[in-house]
Amino acid sequence: MSGAFTKSMARNIFYGGTVFFFLLFLALSFDTLSQLPKRDMRANMTPQIAEGKKLWETHNCIGCHTLLGEGAYFAPELGNVVVRYGDEGVKAFIQSRPKEGIPGRRSMPQFNFTDEQLNAIVAFLKHVNSINTNNWPPNSQG
Amino acid sequence: MQYKSQAVAKPYFIAAIGLFVGQILFGLIMGLQYVLGDFLFPAIPFNVARMVHTNLLIVWLLFGFMGGAYFLIPEESETELFSPKLALIMFWIFLVAGAATIVGYLAVPYATLAELTGNNIIETMGREFLEQPLPTKVGIVAVALVFLFNITMTVLKGKKTAISLVLLIGLWGLAVFYLFSFYNPANVVLDKFFWWWTVHLWVEGVWELILGSFLAFVLIKTTGVDREVIEKWLYVIVTLTLISGIIGTGHHYFWIGTPEYWQWWGSIFSALEPIPFFAMTVFAFNMVNRRRREHPNKAAVLWALGTGVMAFLGAGVWGFLHTLAPVNYYTHGTQITAAHGHMAFYGAYAMVNLMIISYAMPILRGRAANSNRSQVLEMWSFWLMTVSIVFITLFLTAAGILQVWLQRVSDTPLPFMVAQDKIALFYWMREWAGVAFLIGLIVYITSFFVSGEEKAS
Amino acid sequence: MNTIALDPAEHHVKRLPGDLAIWFFILAEMVAFAVFFSSYAFARAKNVEMFNLYQQTLDRNLGALNTLLLITGSWFVVLAVQAAHRDDQKSISRNILFGFLCGGGFLTVKVIEYAAKFGAGISLSTNTFYMFYISLTFFHFMHVILGMVILAVLWKQSRDGAYGAHNAHGLESGAAYWHMVDLLWIVLFPLVYVMR
Repeated sequence: MSGAFTKSMARNIFYGGTVFFFLLFLALSFDTLSQLPKRDMRANMTPQIAEGKKLWETHNCIGCHTLLGEGAYFAPELGNVVVRYGDEGVKAFIQSRPKEGIPGRRSMPQFNFTDEQLNAIVAFLKHVNSINTNNWPPNSQG
Repeated sequence: MQYKSQAVAKPYFIAAIGLFVGQILFGLIMGLQYVLGDFLFPAIPFNVARMVHTNLLIVWLLFGFMGGAYFLIPEESETELFSPKLALIMFWIFLVAGAATIVGYLAVPYATLAELTGNNIIETMGREFLEQPLPTKVGIVAVALVFLFNITMTVLKGKKTAISLVLLIGLWGLAVFYLFSFYNPANVVLDKFFWWWTVHLWVEGVWELILGSFLAFVLIKTTGVDREVIEKWLYVIVTLTLISGIIGTGHHYFWIGTPEYWQWWGSIFSALEPIPFFAMTVFAFNMVNRRRREHPNKAAVLWALGTGVMAFLGAGVWGFLHTLAPVNYYTHGTQITAAHGHMAFYGAYAMVNLMIISYAMPILRGRAANSNRSQVLEMWSFWLMTVSIVFITLFLTAAGILQVWLQRVSDTPLPFMVAQDKIALFYWMREWAGVAFLIGLIVYITSFFVSGEEKAS
Repeated sequence: MNTIALDPAEHHVKRLPGDLAIWFFILAEMVAFAVFFSSYAFARAKNVEMFNLYQQTLDRNLGALNTLLLITGSWFVVLAVQAAHRDDQKSISRNILFGFLCGGGFLTVKVIEYAAKFGAGISLSTNTFYMFYISLTFFHFMHVILGMVILAVLWKQSRDGAYGAHNAHGLESGAAYWHMVDLLWIVLFPLVYVMR
């Protein structure tokens, strides 16, 4: 094999290949964005759900929990927590966290949420649970 | 040191190592919280420790990338840095902003921090890895832009080599894709979809260009192999990276509300992602075997070979293990992901930074290489940290397999916390491996202070 | 110049046409397609009836026409390379142009085919068969475009007299890529349109 191997050819292929695959990725992303309304349940979006998401974010829930499998792996998946505990169960759990934690156990902080805030969080979690996730998680334990 | 202005890299490297220590300490805290749940609670809850752990990782890697670029670019461009003063000012701004952010995480509850820092203006906080308050995010963009301006101007006025072009594309990509961290719609699927444009296109895209160019630079310097040869391979490797990595983003789009076809596209292209890492390993070993001279800095060569192997194992093999959609259905969001994350980040990005630091620091301190004693110590730290991360990964993988089995596959799936209790033994072993890692890191830092007969520059 | 035709060494030394870099790229692309094709076979094996059913909705005549167009295109590109080895400048650029036009013909036919399918509301999310049909053909479609971009560059360069008997390197590289695009279609067409 005595074929030449030139840097300029390698460079051109790098640029060409990169642009090519990025365009392909954009095309697929474009298709995804057009399909999402059927899957992400945006028609059901309410200000309460948005408020719930904000509370979720500003209390850094993702720092311990996963949501649709993304986040930290210290505490349970919450994308389907409403299936496990029900709305009232979720609220009761959040409200009942002891301020000083549970001796020897992984402990969740007491956030002192108002009832309104708890409702927003549950609304958000219910909304996430309604998203079409291709049947993930495998079972209700998340 | 060929160019005076390369000296600005030094504070960047020192800061990087300092923050690295912080990252490991918080990692140990988290590891302990995995088994002694209320350790340091409520002073430092797990989420805070994790935020500090991951953010310090990102920041120290960025410090390393910037320091590496400031060292490498003048030498590649054969000209002094456009503005060394600007580089030093940016160093202090970035360090102070970074430190303030960490203090903020630790000092006040996250919700209060969000309130104080104007999260209500643009809600960007509270998403994994992108927890930084708005001023920090804006600061990162500003520092990155000034840094890029400085680097780009240097390249423009000097020689344009393949290494500096690939590095520039990587660094510009880093800045551009970070901009997606400002996009946070209320629609959680859209939020997650574009969140990956920052996170995935960083670590499995443009960061690999930075990795490749650093590796190529150090290989040219330490092996004396013809630049032409090394640069050709650099292009081939980064092409393979982007061919597989860009569409490979799809492996994050299996279960977050995105269409089903990503299971195919994501699986197929991410199955190819080990190839560039494999090529990188072969490349590093090949160049070292074909070396035309014996560089006195043996430690830097060891890091260069190590980063190839460990990136292939961590990112390539451990990534492939759970990247196919039918497997990922069960492993998604478990300790398997954590296992992969630890080895991949260490192998690809921590090690490449340690490599460039290992090569550059002696030169910045006025010698071609450290004394033999110092190098021996550094190589000990290499093995201690690398073997420790291998064990951390193995223990987390074992924990992950059991977790998947107990919680997801079993006919009678156990609740999350019940499963966690059953695998606590592996978390204990992981914690001890973490302690060994810290010892390795201490040895590493000690090696900077060991004198002995120096090798002239 | 006048000795090349009879130089015996020329015939015995095996030479890789084109640049080694393009062969790496071709190899990577072929691997990607190979994994894609295998995935298709795997998915089909799990759902043969559904695949067979929807396969019948594809327009095989248009597919065959496209096969013909690509093979013809490849033939012109071969002629262009041969012309370069003969130093026949005019014939180089003419044949590249014909190759390019064949590619254009392919795209036109494909767009007609897509228009009918998309018009019927078929998308990537319709079912697994159509997912593969659109993914594979569109992935290939983009490769044809890239191949045509390469041919266009080669055409321009050949008009400037860049290629000849001793300088066919770049031309051969581009030609190799174009043949790959052709080859992939020759696998794709029977696999997705015909085989059952």
